[in-house]
Amino acid sequence: MADPIEMSDRDAMAAELALGLLDGEERAAALRLQLSNAEFAALVDAWRERFAPLSAGFASSSPPAALWAAIEARLGSDVAPATVAEMPSSLARQIGRWRAAAVASSAVAAVLLAAIVLRPDPQLPPAPTQPATPVERPVVIAQLAGEPGGALLAARYDAEPGQITIRASGIPASDLAPELWIIPDDGVPRSLGLVAADGTSRVVVPVVIRSLIADGATLAITLEPADGAPHAAPSSTPIAAGTISTI
Amino acid sequence: MSQSLPADTARAELVGLLDRVGQGNRDALRDVYDRTSAKLFGIALRICGEREAAEDVLQDIYLKVWRRAGRYDATRASPITWLATIARNTAIDWRRAHNGPAMMGDDALATIADDRAGADVMAEDAETRARIFTCIDTLEEKRATAIRAAFFDGLSYPQLADRMAVPLGTMKSWIRRGLIELKACLGHG
Repeated sequence: MADPIEMSDRDAMAAELALGLLDGEERAAALRLQLSNAEFAALVDAWRERFAPLSAGFASSSPPAALWAAIEARLGSDVAPATVAEMPSSLARQIGRWRAAAVASSAVAAVLLAAIVLRPDPQLPPAPTQPATPVERPVVIAQLAGEPGGALLAARYDAEPGQITIRASGIPASDLAPELWIIPDDGVPRSLGLVAADGTSRVVVPVVIRSLIADGATLAITLEPADGAPHAAPSSTPIAAGTISTI
Repeated sequence: MSQSLPADTARAELVGLLDRVGQGNRDALRDVYDRTSAKLFGIALRICGEREAAEDVLQDIYLKVWRRAGRYDATRASPITWLATIARNTAIDWRRAHNGPAMMGDDALATIADDRAGADVMAEDAETRARIFTCIDTLEEKRATAIRAAFFDGLSYPQLADRMAVPLGTMKSWIRRGLIELKACLGHG
């Protein structure tokens, strides 16, 4: 499989990231690529696996006795592991980024996985007689399934008015409000604003964000303080998330 | 795998413990900590180069283990290898975020001589360990030295170039040639 003489630039970059050689903007670029590109992420994983046995060469050193207590104290405010474990690893990686910036992570009632369908608007008749390509007016339909009795959300995106219609029910009662996010390839969540915790909301998607609603992007809901929305970044783990896929 | 019985047992127990950690069992995490914290602290200490930072990093490491244990796949990596990779990556993250000069405390310096011999190994990884250590030993000396320093000391390209007193471009070339040879060596029998 491996050509003994040649190595692609991308494979080299994966090795460099896995070894920790990169710094500054090079490292940031590689980390972004790892988040957004599954193929590159697999190359990084493969290099990590190659190097991993080397860790046998590290000498042991006993940590101070009080350290466990510090770890245990931090477990209390942490989200139960199963909430992340159930997510696909690509999503979990994105959420890992969120956690890093989170000011507080509250307990999460349920994690929902959304199956989002991107398809041409069925109302548009095909235009076989016209030489020009038909105008694309994609519609995104989200079907979200949660834990039994948990939150349930359904979303539809109409490209023509640039509007998301989202229906929510079963979102846990809270002082916080559900905020909708789009996470494109770069892994950076952009707020689409607050939505109703119960019933139907219509969210006008800002023009600069519309192109991000595309195959492979993730839609997610977090619970946020209503004040100050739309926020620059999520402060907690999503209660619902899913990847847009084309069929 | 023809490993010794005690190593097999220790590995199987650790796999079982990680499974329980993945289900949210704190006692199991404590048990994992008792069995592995000296190893992982050694990694954090070596790469961070200072005790205080290594202690903070060790906390982060076990919080990651707590969150990620449910995704550990025993068919892909031995438990200690999986844990050590989390530890090293977390320590590297700290190093890159605190982008100071390559500082080496006395604690870290004391361990450097052990790299080649693979001292303090976990017996369970004996077979795979031999392979990568042998492959690195076959590299041209300066390439091997650079790759070892990158792995064990967590040095970046500029830090490596600085330590070995060569231009950055030379260092990148050494490492890349070394990586190509390493991949080929590991890919063959």
